[in-house]
Amino acid sequence: MGTLNRRQFIGTIGGAGAFSILSGKASKADEPKIKVGIMGLGGRGRFLTERFVQRPDIEITYLCDVNNRRYAYGREIVAEYQDSQPKLTQDFRDMLNDPDVDVIVNATPVHWHALSTIMACQSGKDVYVEKPLSVNPWEGLKMVEAARKYKRVVQVGCQTRSAPYVQKAMEYVQNGHLGAVHIASVYQVVDWKNNVHNAEEEPVPEGLDYDLWCGPAPKLPYRPGYWFRDKWDFNVGSIGGDIFHQVDLARYILDVSFPQSAFSSGGVYHFNDGREIPDTISTHFEYDKLIYKIEAAIWAANFKKIPTSVRDSDQFPDWEFTSTKIELYGTKGFLRLGRQGGGWQAFNEKGEIVAEEYGRQADNIHIANFIDCVRSRNLPNADIEEGRRTDLLLHLSNISARVGNKKLLYSPDSNNFKNLEEANNFLRRKDRAPWLIPDKV
Amino acid sequence: MNMEFVKRWILSGIFLFYTSLAFSQWLDINSISIQSVMTEEGGPVIEITYTLNDQNITQGNPAYVFIRFSRDNGQTWSLIDHAFLSEEGIGVIQSGGIKKILFWGTGEMAVKNPLFRIRGIRMAKIPGGEFIMKSFPAGGKDPSVSERPSNILPGFFMAINETTISMYVDFLNEMGKDGSGWNDRMVNEKRCGILQSGDEGNFQYTIIPGRENYPITYVSWYDARNFLNWCGLNLPSETMFEKAFVGGIYLDGDEKKSLSNTNPERKYPWGDEVPYQAGIYRCNYAGEEDGYPNLAPVGTFRKFSSPYGINDLAGNVAEWTLDWYSTTYHIGLDGFRMIRGGSWLAEPFACDAVSGATQFPIKESSIMGFRGILLK
Repeated sequence: MGTLNRRQFIGTIGGAGAFSILSGKASKADEPKIKVGIMGLGGRGRFLTERFVQRPDIEITYLCDVNNRRYAYGREIVAEYQDSQPKLTQDFRDMLNDPDVDVIVNATPVHWHALSTIMACQSGKDVYVEKPLSVNPWEGLKMVEAARKYKRVVQVGCQTRSAPYVQKAMEYVQNGHLGAVHIASVYQVVDWKNNVHNAEEEPVPEGLDYDLWCGPAPKLPYRPGYWFRDKWDFNVGSIGGDIFHQVDLARYILDVSFPQSAFSSGGVYHFNDGREIPDTISTHFEYDKLIYKIEAAIWAANFKKIPTSVRDSDQFPDWEFTSTKIELYGTKGFLRLGRQGGGWQAFNEKGEIVAEEYGRQADNIHIANFIDCVRSRNLPNADIEEGRRTDLLLHLSNISARVGNKKLLYSPDSNNFKNLEEANNFLRRKDRAPWLIPDKV
Repeated sequence: MNMEFVKRWILSGIFLFYTSLAFSQWLDINSISIQSVMTEEGGPVIEITYTLNDQNITQGNPAYVFIRFSRDNGQTWSLIDHAFLSEEGIGVIQSGGIKKILFWGTGEMAVKNPLFRIRGIRMAKIPGGEFIMKSFPAGGKDPSVSERPSNILPGFFMAINETTISMYVDFLNEMGKDGSGWNDRMVNEKRCGILQSGDEGNFQYTIIPGRENYPITYVSWYDARNFLNWCGLNLPSETMFEKAFVGGIYLDGDEKKSLSNTNPERKYPWGDEVPYQAGIYRCNYAGEEDGYPNLAPVGTFRKFSSPYGINDLAGNVAEWTLDWYSTTYHIGLDGFRMIRGGSWLAEPFACDAVSGATQFPIKESSIMGFRGILLK
């Protein structure tokens, strides 16, 4: 495939190209449209709105954002593809109480993912929720509980799990072509040195319900920017927010879930802006005869994420300087895989390429899988439990660093740490009333 | 100087062309005459005279005039670099009437009978000086960086109106023969109403009658830049946009400081009154009550322009700016650009001075357009 010009490129990411993929498994004509409420109209929310609204079996009935300055951009997207106008609200509870909504697309900041997903399940809505799932392990558990108790379909937005090239990599590894894989390296080494968080406090802008934005997290003085991404009460960090995808893919390909131990080295090495969550971290998870490593930093010169021109083409990335890759070391071979449509290549003991697959991004396939499951009531590709298990690895990595880079033994049965009581303090946050996640969902 | 007439062209086709465009935001430029004259020692020079038929052109509200020429009988056109031009009829023009331009690039064109197209845009002058910036611009860096760009800007000129559909179609008919700059959403008669005909390599564009004076939409950041490059203009930075919106501390600039801005922290271009107060509608925001369920012709709400007389900064279409936006997850990759201002789908209060959004530069939206600026 040659180089796309700009307008062809638009087609691949949002226009007719996307529509043809979405239409592949369109619903029967006599099936009613699934009614969708969008929660969060930031960049990701608008992206998902555009993908959902292009499906012929979908109607967007609600647009919700605590900042109603964002309405216009969401409305504009919907107006391009459907005649009916969605209702607008700042308070997501309006959507939950409305029978005209079947599905919530949850593209809120991370500190809202858990509670709003739980409340949506309680209201009988299915949920497509963005990653990372939660601020702490307890939130993830309660999300799963709610999904199961109320029999809801909850898909996590780790879309590359639905990519055909990833499924083929999983089959290749699981069929033993690499032999025994004893080491897996998952990378998130990027150059985000501009990511600093020292904006001063400001009055809350008109149109933003800041109290509702804070929700279950502490209500700190308003500051513009994305400072909250590196605060423990709000997020899993700039690293965790993005490496979720690779961590999930490696877990999927290797078919592993709960590690026997987690041991991190890391901290805030580069930035001096009041952030709490490490900007540099290396974590070793021990599984049965497998060391699963995370190598992550957000200040590293030279490293870039896979360019958009590579993601949807028959090209492989520049592996050496690719930020978001996975490497699997086996007794018979070696495999490297790129997220976001980067594809994969496998090498034999002689260093020869013996298998490879170009990649494509999989947002549309992932959404289609979700809609199929909403109708069939089957578990989706990235069911909430799978997302919760990936999320847990990020929490274990962070908590190990948070207690001073100590090795932790986590029990998935009792959902706590067996060897260090101090670490158990970080399993759950004290939520801000009235936004409390109930013990019994 | 010993002047000698060599040749004289009267470009009647161009004359008609401009009379038809006067309606749709190009300024009324007519009576164009072009003649080649011989200078005493510098060889031939083309002397272009035209009439800028607009008595409202002043020092504070000047015209920006640019010339494009073709040396292959109208097949291709190029902007003439101002370095090749002299006299008072090019660039920023501060009064109407008969204007003259000397084009010194005649050496290479003497045998080709060049064609010229002269276009003008009504501008507002924004004098240099301090203003109070309230939004948090993201120009090329993370929005949480505490350092804000200087609130002191050099002087610049900004188009009084958003770029119109007819101006853009004029551009397409010169530069869009291969389809570039056009997309099929532009056919939408409630938005653009631009029709494409002909074959690739020779596409032509027409406007559904009545749409000429509406702002162009469905233009990407690249389309906006290409149009403005075609004119010799640029997009405003976020800082420029906001200063044009609220006005400087002194409306005549820091050099004079004789005309204070009575409300330098105003919420809207006209002041602090909300867009719908007391049955008066001050801009085109979401809904039908302002009289416009969709787009409005540019300048419809000119009674409620900015302190410099600039129209529609608050509503109608949000506007592309030059500035990058970078976030934790997207630095250097997706190339987000900043949009400023409200739109016909925005809540009324979201038409204020701090409203903005991020967009992929490839985004083509029915609520986004643009206008040009020129640094002094």
